[in-house]
Amino acid sequence: MGNTEKYRGKTGISEALLTAPSFFWLASFFVVPSVLIFAISFKISNSSGGIGDIWTLETWSGLLRTDYLAILWRTVWVSAAITAICLLLGIPVGYWIARQRPGVRYWYLLLVIVPLWTNFLIRIFAWKIVLHPDGFLRSALVYSGIISPDTFLLNNIGSVIAVSVYTYLPFAILPIYAAAEKFNFGLIEAAADLGASRFKAFASIFLPGIKRGILTAVLIVMIPSLGSYAVPDLVGGIDGEMLGNKIAQRVTANRNLPEASALAAMLTLIITLPIIFLIAGKGGKILLNARRAGGDK
Amino acid sequence: MGKKLKKMAVVFAAALAAAISGGCGPSVPKLNVYMWSDYIDPDIVQKFEDENGCEVVISIFDSNESMYAKLKAGGTGYDVILPSSYMAKVMNDEKMIETLDLSKLPNVKNINSEYMKKLALDKTFKYSVPYMICYSCVAYDKGKCPNLPDTWGVFGDSKYRGRMTLLNDYRETIGAALKANGYSLNTRDDSELEKAKETLLKWKPNLARLDNEGYKSGVQSGEFVVVHGYSGDLYQVLEESKNLAVMIPKEGVSLSCDDWVIPADSKNKDLAYAFINYMCDPESAAANMEVTKYLSPVDGASKLMSDENAKSVVIPKAVYENGEMIIDLGEDNAKYLKIWDEIKISQ
Repeated sequence: MGNTEKYRGKTGISEALLTAPSFFWLASFFVVPSVLIFAISFKISNSSGGIGDIWTLETWSGLLRTDYLAILWRTVWVSAAITAICLLLGIPVGYWIARQRPGVRYWYLLLVIVPLWTNFLIRIFAWKIVLHPDGFLRSALVYSGIISPDTFLLNNIGSVIAVSVYTYLPFAILPIYAAAEKFNFGLIEAAADLGASRFKAFASIFLPGIKRGILTAVLIVMIPSLGSYAVPDLVGGIDGEMLGNKIAQRVTANRNLPEASALAAMLTLIITLPIIFLIAGKGGKILLNARRAGGDK
Repeated sequence: MGKKLKKMAVVFAAALAAAISGGCGPSVPKLNVYMWSDYIDPDIVQKFEDENGCEVVISIFDSNESMYAKLKAGGTGYDVILPSSYMAKVMNDEKMIETLDLSKLPNVKNINSEYMKKLALDKTFKYSVPYMICYSCVAYDKGKCPNLPDTWGVFGDSKYRGRMTLLNDYRETIGAALKANGYSLNTRDDSELEKAKETLLKWKPNLARLDNEGYKSGVQSGEFVVVHGYSGDLYQVLEESKNLAVMIPKEGVSLSCDDWVIPADSKNKDLAYAFINYMCDPESAAANMEVTKYLSPVDGASKLMSDENAKSVVIPKAVYENGEMIIDLGEDNAKYLKIWDEIKISQ
């Protein structure tokens, strides 16, 4: 008994030491800047672009303006669409790679990762060429009558979604593949033996089995999409503005730091609150499991 | 093989050491210039470096406001900055820039006195020295837009739907709509601004995007067929693409000037003065005009230029007559920003 306690104490210290760097990192690069942004959002702005001395709630109540709500709605639905498409493409790809022979798998994974070796901006500019109004793709689509001659592929919400999906897809495939690789495919055969159709086995055995991978993919795609700035700025058209672009406009063109901070703080809340709830829920579950395990002993 | 590798490592280490000691050495003073892209002749910069035994480092901004925001957020280390006149005035009001010592700038005598009297905001070189004058105008594809009329109204023409851009600059673009309605682009009148907003809402469905930088390559590649931009930038593009032409809307355009200023926290003020003075020399001004296609207010410079370029930098008389300088409106900027937000979000 005494021995175990001593052991436990040791793990406590080493655990603290192990988490210290990430804790320090989070505190100095996430908590402190976020608190500063929240603080600035309650200050008034002055016309010269500085931060005034008076505290106010007006900036926050001003966020309920209809144009902000419209941009927020667009940001959320566009991000949800990007995430959904990434999952639709990522799950089959992850499944397929995991079913290949181990020696070949890594080559397919390499193919997923290789585009990331090229600079992000260069890849966006490459898309501008692909979707160009006089480009091959659009000419072919117009010629074959699939799109009308006054439809453009570039500078609209569609191009923002397409380029974002392209950008984030590898980050969706990788965690899904990692989960699928650990999945015991014998279970699917067992389901088939018990009379489940292929689709049924896929939907009710495979998908729940890689739940964690899917959840990670959702977080990894959804969070950066909500904060998109470069993609809508470069391939988005006149109606492609997202929350990230509005924040940039408030900081630069409008010289209104408190309003930019309020928008940024709102975005932070939208992203962090659900994750905190998720982690809190999970933490509770883990604690519960640990206690149960202890009781079993 | 191992020996070769070792040798390589030694050479690499020596090179690294040389680079580090060279980089940190106090021997070569550095002049940090913060300005617009493609806006100076690199040869002139090289000549200035050689004559003064210094290194000039040029950093780029793409709008006055983003430059200002960066400085306000604590950006330091610049020795010379090139804002537009209205922004130079704001920076002076905010005491961010130096009051100039004209004894260190003998060449300002070359600046055209007519320009200083009529257009300059800082008429006595108190805090700024003019560099280039420009105006906003439109470039278009001659093949795809035959017989384009010289009016802002082209942005209302649905024939070019999805292939036109206006500047992503609230003063320039609302200014264009104000001019299209025959108003001043510095108006503070609510009903005039409301009219301009209606005009922009009519134009909006025809626009591909609001763009400050990509319009140049966009109109060259054919992504856009009508673009709103700055005179020199568009003439630079024209030089490379013979299928393009410039159109100057008859209702009037915005005129602006970019002025050299020295930030108050510059660490190399003497070198900064020398640089600004160098740019006011007719020969450097001529070289800069050849490259940028903007008009320098330095007297005697255009005589030193090639005929073809001298023609394209010259500002047509009508531009001076109907054009207006953009002035900072202080508190009333908010009126423009409100319209700008409404236009951006409207469906």
